[in-house]
Amino acid sequence: MSLTAVAFTLLFVGITVFVSMRQKLGLERDIIIGTIRAAVQLMAVGLVLQAVFRTEHLAVLLPIIIAMIAVAAWHAAGRGKGLSGIAWRIGIAIAATEAMIMLLLLGLHIIASTPQYVISISGMTIGNAMVVAGLFLNQMKRDVESSRGEIETLLALGASVRQAIQLCMKRAVKASLIPTIDGMKTVGIVQLPGMMTGMIIAGADPMQAVRYQILIVFAFTSSAAVTSIILSLLSYKLWFTEAMQLRRLGNE
Amino acid sequence: MGILAFANLSKTLPGGRTLFSSISAAIDEPESVALLAPSGHGKSTLLRILALLDTASGGEVLLESKASSGWHPQAWRKKASYVAQQSVMLPGTVADNLHTFSRLHETPFDEAEATRLMKAAGLSSMDWAKEAETLSGGEKQRVALVRSLLAKPSVLLLDEVTASLDEHSKEAVEKLLLTVGSEAKPALVWVTHDMEQARRVSTRTWFMADGAFTACETALFFRRPPTEAAERFLQRQASEAGP
Repeated sequence: MSLTAVAFTLLFVGITVFVSMRQKLGLERDIIIGTIRAAVQLMAVGLVLQAVFRTEHLAVLLPIIIAMIAVAAWHAAGRGKGLSGIAWRIGIAIAATEAMIMLLLLGLHIIASTPQYVISISGMTIGNAMVVAGLFLNQMKRDVESSRGEIETLLALGASVRQAIQLCMKRAVKASLIPTIDGMKTVGIVQLPGMMTGMIIAGADPMQAVRYQILIVFAFTSSAAVTSIILSLLSYKLWFTEAMQLRRLGNE
Repeated sequence: MGILAFANLSKTLPGGRTLFSSISAAIDEPESVALLAPSGHGKSTLLRILALLDTASGGEVLLESKASSGWHPQAWRKKASYVAQQSVMLPGTVADNLHTFSRLHETPFDEAEATRLMKAAGLSSMDWAKEAETLSGGEKQRVALVRSLLAKPSVLLLDEVTASLDEHSKEAVEKLLLTVGSEAKPALVWVTHDMEQARRVSTRTWFMADGAFTACETALFFRRPPTEAAERFLQRQASEAGP
């Protein structure tokens, strides 16, 4: 794709700005800032990837992957406001997921151990794990609040905090997995995944693109389950005080 | 050995309002105590503190003469069991609810005792396989009480457990609680707004108003209110109850 062709894509931005002005939506400033940010961020990533893909040593990728996990954990932690220490717990859950996926993919030689594959698949895995962690925390917050009576009834009968919150954890893990499982059921029919579409546009054989997409879909399903379960086990105590009382997050 | 006691107990809400300050009382035998106070004066909070479901701002709570700091909260709650106004049925059947304590603590389920308690609660004909969520409010509250009684607590903390019940269910709950546990009768602390019920079920009364606390025999409390606040409270309750 030539730079001139890329420049022409600004027409789409022009259309959006025009609609915003015409309909008095007041979004022009946000659209322009968003356009500049998206272009600069993607260009910068392109340059970094260009440099990274030339390297022969996978160890060089480690700081990049750690940075990706840190940003993902920090972002998902926004869903767990009031739970102190949630960010590093999410970080561990995502890191464990990434480690499991990479060990399997590289160990079984499913993908080549080159930066192109490692960085691209890590990006997708970490991004998916971040979304799953956010969904899990959202669901837990809602469920714990609506199940206060149930949790305190169990505590009043001498239950441990794990026993008292077990049902909420189970429901939240389930809820966080549903979008991934639904996506797996409808992939290729309702939606053509971005990675597969990208490969086909870039000239790859569609069957080859499909094989990689199958890999990603299956890896996403297990990474979603692993992230959600690890996060639930690492975080359930945060909903309680040291005296085993259920916190009121809104009041803290 | 005292069953339950609190000494110099205070509670200040996050907004700075003091619910009660430096209050003390003790239950030394399995008696029945009515905890009375105007709305919003900290009855439920005190009960939750006694169940270690809430934290006091100062002072200490003791169970079997040992301060709460020396107890594991789980061990404490097995002995001092709290029952909320709105009974919560746990997911599953009536039997699942009745088995809760034995399941949580991996102890054998005492079926004979459960049957006896259900009978005492007026629920002898209830199908245990019924989904607990489908029960009426009165049935739920009675099943919740039987569930708590199966833990054989030494004190039962009752937070307006009959407030939303009809007369028949209220009577059944009172009968259950006053006749239960012939071998090891639990002490009862009843939070109630029903003065007639307080007279019927308690031998002693704790009264809280404006941060102050008094304890006296129930008969004496109603015959000769110990403070002006208690007198005003009883007059207001009488006028609200109507002729």
